[in-house]
Amino acid sequence: MTPLERIRNFSIIAHIDHGKSTLADRIIQRCGGLAQREMSDQVLDSMDLERERGITIKAQTAALEYVARDGGRYLLNLIDTPGHVDFSYEVSRSLAACEGALLVVDASQGVEAQTVANCYTATEQGVEVIPVLNKIDLPSADPENAIREIEDVIGIEARDALRASAKTGEGVEEILEAVIAKVPPPKGDPQGRLQALVIDSWFDNYVGVVMLVRMMHGTLKPKDRILLMSTGADHLCEQVGVFTPKSQPCEALAAGEVGFVVAGVKDLREAKVGDTLTHALRPAPAPLPGFKEIKPQVFAGLYPVEANQYEALREALGKLHLNDASFHYEPEISQALGYGFRCGFLGLLHMDIVQERLEREYGMHLVTTAPSVIYEVQLRDGSVEAISNPAKLPDPARIAEIREPIIATTIFVPQEYVGPVMTLCTEKRGVQTNLHYAARHVVLSFDLPLNEVVLDFFDRLKSLTRGFGSMDYEFKEYRPADVVRLDVLVNGERVDALSSMVHREVAQRRGRELAARLRGLIPRQMFDVAIQAAIGANIIARENVKALRKNVLAKCYGGDVTRKRKLLEKQKEGKKRMKQVGSVEIPQEAFLAVLQRDGGQS
Amino acid sequence: MSAVLRARHDVRFAVLPPLALYAHLPWCVRKCPYCDFNSHEKGDALPEREYVAALVADLEGLLPSVWGRRAGSVFIGGGTPSLFSPESIDALLAALRARVPLEPGAEVTLEANPGTAEAGRFRGYRDAGVNRLSLGIQSFDDGRLASLGRIHSADEARRAIEMAQDAFDNVNLDLMYGLPGQTVSEARKEIAEAVRWGTTHLSAYQLTIEPNTVFFSKPPALPSHDEAADMQLAVEEMLAAAGFEHYETSAFARPGRRCRHNLNYWEFGDYLGLGAGAHGKVSYAERVTRHERPKPPREYMAQAGALKESVIASRELPFEFMLNALRLVQGVPSKLFEERTGLPAAAVARRLSTAREKGLLEDDPLRIRPTPRGQLFLNELLQLFLD
Repeated sequence: MTPLERIRNFSIIAHIDHGKSTLADRIIQRCGGLAQREMSDQVLDSMDLERERGITIKAQTAALEYVARDGGRYLLNLIDTPGHVDFSYEVSRSLAACEGALLVVDASQGVEAQTVANCYTATEQGVEVIPVLNKIDLPSADPENAIREIEDVIGIEARDALRASAKTGEGVEEILEAVIAKVPPPKGDPQGRLQALVIDSWFDNYVGVVMLVRMMHGTLKPKDRILLMSTGADHLCEQVGVFTPKSQPCEALAAGEVGFVVAGVKDLREAKVGDTLTHALRPAPAPLPGFKEIKPQVFAGLYPVEANQYEALREALGKLHLNDASFHYEPEISQALGYGFRCGFLGLLHMDIVQERLEREYGMHLVTTAPSVIYEVQLRDGSVEAISNPAKLPDPARIAEIREPIIATTIFVPQEYVGPVMTLCTEKRGVQTNLHYAARHVVLSFDLPLNEVVLDFFDRLKSLTRGFGSMDYEFKEYRPADVVRLDVLVNGERVDALSSMVHREVAQRRGRELAARLRGLIPRQMFDVAIQAAIGANIIARENVKALRKNVLAKCYGGDVTRKRKLLEKQKEGKKRMKQVGSVEIPQEAFLAVLQRDGGQS
Repeated sequence: MSAVLRARHDVRFAVLPPLALYAHLPWCVRKCPYCDFNSHEKGDALPEREYVAALVADLEGLLPSVWGRRAGSVFIGGGTPSLFSPESIDALLAALRARVPLEPGAEVTLEANPGTAEAGRFRGYRDAGVNRLSLGIQSFDDGRLASLGRIHSADEARRAIEMAQDAFDNVNLDLMYGLPGQTVSEARKEIAEAVRWGTTHLSAYQLTIEPNTVFFSKPPALPSHDEAADMQLAVEEMLAAAGFEHYETSAFARPGRRCRHNLNYWEFGDYLGLGAGAHGKVSYAERVTRHERPKPPREYMAQAGALKESVIASRELPFEFMLNALRLVQGVPSKLFEERTGLPAAAVARRLSTAREKGLLEDDPLRIRPTPRGQLFLNELLQLFLD
């Protein structure tokens, strides 16, 4: 067992693409964690999908052995953190398991919003932050500016920031030496009552749920009866071990260490991130602080394109859920789309990932409705309903007030883009709460309705700032809002899956835009198709998709029948991929039309 | 034939369908950018004698499958068959007749292009036994002809029609509409001129962009869907007013002058396909087969006479029958389905009633006949016969 003073627990805070994964690889390589041939690029990103997106969703870790320049043999626990705004809670739990963090900043790009948010979380928790300027080998590197930004924005001393290139390996040893010199060793009593922080948990097909834990106090061995304090779930510990990053069972985990626990847990919901694991027979007096139940914030309907795929979709969602307890799903019936599921996600990126995994790994063809947030609807009888599907909004006559979720956002933009970004935030009903200059960047704080952000805010921000803007957000509160439901009628029939909540002031314009966009998306068919946008009984916009006048092959004289057959089969196949609403065929893209808005017209 | 597919219904013919002969002559002076037929630009000299010999060898290989049957029509298509000399056509027709007897008064059509038309040749073709000439006019407008990559001018087209009518009393003009840059009134002008020539038959097609053509990779700006539909209406109205019967999607004839050869396709008759890239269909007592020839002329000539046929799965027959029969404006008698596919009426009954419910087929139990809407939306109608 390594004595506490020879252990260092640290993680890496960085913006996407600033080189976190590459640096982690270098560190693992330097410490001999994996032989050269086992070293796949960016070993910490285990899922292909994550690799493609360049982000890490599930935190993983590596226990590494490092012989320092002082001759001492140290155990370095590198704890990986997810790098996206949707996963800020997971990041905070990873940081709670560390005494130190490397703040990696791309020397050519400077600080970004999420880095700052994560860094604040780290300093609030008393984590020692060591700034590292990465990509120092690039000709465009501007370390002076990066240092100024770190000092101005984050408020930590950065004069002596380490300079490194994860790509070339330059500076990696200095980083490890700094970890040993600056990060305090963990505290904790191996003889004390067991308190282990669940940093992450995932489902393994062979052993069930695997929990990654940081031992705060006490010692955990196989055969111990354990208790998960938030749920009260009680299990028998089967195996403990560490990741090097390969998994390696060991005899015990003791205070200060980081490792995994397998305890026959079958349901991921019993092993919540941030929960405290203790001995069932000799429990800790209290759980560790900071545990939160994380709730989905963004909801959308997922429907199989072909009705007979409903069961397959249910099965796929069930399997995904085994591995990702943060997304929720429940059956839902739409008049337009038939049987499907209402799904809740932590945010838009999370939604994208789930959707893509369903399509890629499970071969599902999906129709997805535009994302919505949860509204608190205060009824005249005093009761309150939480509505995550606009189609389920109670009769307006019964509603006293609708409250919508407001998020506090922090937006980082280079100075030249401040004007357009402020215009965007105002257009999205944002209320400015702060603004300050930090070197080349401006930090804008806005309270924004989440509903406006889930639509096209990220894309607009990125395009307005040529990709240089970044943002972070957290839920703030519910506020009363003058929102109404915008409905769409196709040939007189309301298409529930196309309903959306909009602010009354912009409803008229949104209705016109939506109807016009649908006209472009619904192909001409054998009949005229009337598209109407309505608020209640008021029709606010009307468009018409004119009927096709013919659909016939000009020539056919014996000859090659197979080609004509294929052409007609293709036409028929195309129709199968559309949703039939009454006699009208609506393509999948149309259900996302609510999402795309014609920007910048206001 | 151990691999014969036994599907839900067995094929069984009481009487075999009528038979027609098709011969494909695959060369052109230049390939048109819209053309997806099997055509090849000719070099300096055509191997006329060698190719005719290959067609004859091909026919001899097929003879056992049509033993004792007569043919009701011959169609020499292309490519540009009029690139072949009247002597070669004479040799070809003589060889065909000697091997498959033609019915009395059989229709013998040859396709010709105005660009290669020579008066002497037309008469020569007639003397060889051709009794119907089909001229690929396409347009009477020099600008449109150029945009279609045609090698003839409008005046050459007019002279060719005169000469054709001089030599033949049964002449078809192929005309296209929906051409790049064409307006509805221009299309009407073209139709009016076609009518004025007084030929017995007109084939009027909308230009469509097919895969594997120059236009497919470099699409020209075509009239809109609505303009093309207006042009089709104009074609139908003007030809009806001029006394033409609209009997198939794109075919119009003076009374008694419908193209028998093409009618045989549309009524799902049998046909032998001779020549490079040709397709044929032959029925036997308990199966229907198709054959297909290699497309490159050289390859074809090397293999002619040693080519195989394959069985059409019985489950594919209903669609193939409808693909043809529903193009006919009057449709076909209901019993023709059993006569020409060898399948019981039950094989298609459910789909027919769906089509009737959708208003795409007339509610007449004695005929399978598309409604006017079914004609316009023939593709939708045909999809009902696909799985």
